[in-house]
Order: sequence, then structure tokens, then C-alpha cells
Amino acid sequence: MSSMLKLVAIIVMAPAVAMAEHHHHGMVTGEAEQGSSFAAGLSLVAAQFDTMEYGGEYQGLVPSLRWSHDRFAVMASLGVYRLQKNGLELYGAGDAMVHGQARLVGDGHVNAGLALAVSAPTGDNLQGLGMGHPMVMPAAYGHWGQGMVSVDGSVGYGRAIGGESHHAHGVWPLIEPMNMQEVTFAASGDVVLAKQLRAGGRVSGAMPIGDGISRVIGGVRVLWTEGRVDTAFEIQAGIAGDPFTLRGVLETALRF
Amino acid sequence: MKLLVLALFVLGCGRDTPTPTETQCPSPDPETVTYENFGMQFMETYCLQCHSETLPRSQRNGAPLFHDFDDLIGILQVGNHIDEQAGSGPAASNHFMPPERCPAEPGGPLAIDCPQPTEAERQKLAEWMACEPDRPHSF
Repeated sequence: MSSMLKLVAIIVMAPAVAMAEHHHHGMVTGEAEQGSSFAAGLSLVAAQFDTMEYGGEYQGLVPSLRWSHDRFAVMASLGVYRLQKNGLELYGAGDAMVHGQARLVGDGHVNAGLALAVSAPTGDNLQGLGMGHPMVMPAAYGHWGQGMVSVDGSVGYGRAIGGESHHAHGVWPLIEPMNMQEVTFAASGDVVLAKQLRAGGRVSGAMPIGDGISRVIGGVRVLWTEGRVDTAFEIQAGIAGDPFTLRGVLETALRF
Repeated sequence: MKLLVLALFVLGCGRDTPTPTETQCPSPDPETVTYENFGMQFMETYCLQCHSETLPRSQRNGAPLFHDFDDLIGILQVGNHIDEQAGSGPAASNHFMPPERCPAEPGGPLAIDCPQPTEAERQKLAEWMACEPDRPHSF
């Protein structure tokens, strides 16, 4: 039974957690993977926002590719969005993201490692689609699992590269707002509900270093696996800092 | 000689903080470009169809709140933003605003080309933004 549960955990947890976390800069946490795997994923995101200067909504499609081998994993993603802000509708790409990580200690149910995400300013900063600067985001993560319960956590740092421009319109960009320099954190917990079904919750956020706005996001999610397809759905709420009012993320990935 | 150079330097300087386009107000301020003889008409022609406090968020064509140019107070609150979006000076000639397309009616579809200031008007805008903050106001 214990072995079956572990097998289920490996199949269900790792890719699904990776997908569900991609809006936290691609962090891949969860049960340690063995061998190599490749996955192609697609996320659908929809959100409403209401900041001091802007109100509106956005919807996006975010395709991603992920490759992992033993203790290493690499993921890349680039979203395209429809943004409606203060009555103006526009379309465009967000910032491209590449994420790499290495598990340093532990195996199986308890492990920890380091990660590095880099984003390129492919999104139109003036319209609120992107940061306007490359971003470098190193982080440390940890995972603990026991029986049907698992807990993940991470702390990181984000910094804009090149220039000292400021975000003149408060929370910015409107899609995936970040500060020019910040400390990030995330904590999540999941429980296995059935053979192929998991549910959990997450809190994540950031505190600026220097000028900026702190933000906190809370979410609840459900994840399920059918064959080689992993799917997750998460509802998120902006708790502090106006990153958004409400956001829904539906993610699915096919493992090869 | 050193005192003369220093005096000329001081007299030649305008506001302490340069504008985004690095336009400097002549010293003394000649007050040739003012809200009454330039700014009000400029805003009415090129900006108020979106940057007006009378417009709700849904009818602002993307213009942020608190960037309303119906009066001088609203303009001076975000003077540097105006310069870096539409002014022209030694460091930059900014054509981010007005955008290419505008609604024919507030909140309507982007049915018409936005009227565009000339380069000379953008230079006057930058000069006005460099001078106006340091002028005395009754508010």
C-alpha cells in the first residue's frame, strides 16, 4: 500500500505541482523525480484587477515546455494575453520565462534545492504586459511529504537588470506585477483525495526592497492525473497589494 | 573670473531637477509659454478625450486614473509623466502620447486617428512643464 501510494505520489505530484506553480516563476517542487521526462503544457488564465489607477481584466494562454532529468529540471514559457484596462482592449505577449533548478539534498519524500528563473522583457511595458526589464529570480525550495500530505515552501529574490526606471503607475505590470527588487516567498500544502486526485492550498507573495508594493496571494487548487495527462485548476485571490482581485488558472500538460 | 563663471552658471540654471527630456526653463523665466496661452488649448485638443476627471474608467481608452488634465492642478500633479510621454527636449522626443487611434465618442471604439501635436508643440510642452512647477500659484 505504501509503495502504491508512493508511486501515485510520484506520478501525480511532481509534474502537476510544477504546472500549478508556474505562475510562481516556474518553481518545480514536490516529490523528487527519477529518470528523464519531457512535458508540454498549456495554461489558461483569467483575472480581474482593480488597482488605484486601473480597473479591468485579462485572459491569457501560456504554453510551456519542461524537461527534467534526475535532480535537474528546466522549463520555458511565454504567454499571450488579451488585456482590458480602463476601457482599452489590447492583445500581446507577456514576458518570456526560463526556469532551471537542481535538487541538492534529499530524495523521495523530503528534498530541497535551488532554482533560478530569468525573464526577458518581451511584454509591452508601457501597456502593462511586461516588466520592461530582464528579471533574475534565484530561489531556494524545500519539499516534505508524509503519507497523503505534502508541504512545499520556497524563498527567493527578484531583481530587475539594467536601468533604474520606476513603475510610475503603482502596481505594475498589470499582468504578473513585480517590484524592481523584491524578496519572494511561497508555501503550499496538498492532500491526496483519491488515486488520481489531489487538493491543496497555497500562499505566496513578495516584499519590495526599496520602493515598491508588497503583495500576498492566496489560492486553492485541485489536481488530477489521467494517463500521461496532468491537469490542475486553481482559484487565486489577491489578499494584499492589488496584484489582482480574483484569478483562475487551468493548466494541463502531456508527459512524454 | 571664477566668481563670474559661477554667477553665469547659477544664472543659467533653471529648476534643480531636470525634466525627463532634460528641458530646462530659462532663467529668468520668460513666462512666454503658460497654461492660459498654450497649455489649456493643448490639453483640450490632444488629451482631454481620455484624460478627463469626468470620464469613468470604462471610457478612458486606457488612461490611468489621477492623470486628468482638466485643470492646472491635475497637470502639475503628473508633470514629469506628461513630459516623458509627449514632450520633446534635448534628451528625447517622446511620441508615446497621444496614441495612434482614439474613440470618436468617449468609451467608443477606436474609430478615428488621434490628433497629433507637431514637433514644435511638443517642444513647447516640454518647456512649459519645465517652467510651470516653479511659478507661483494660488492653490
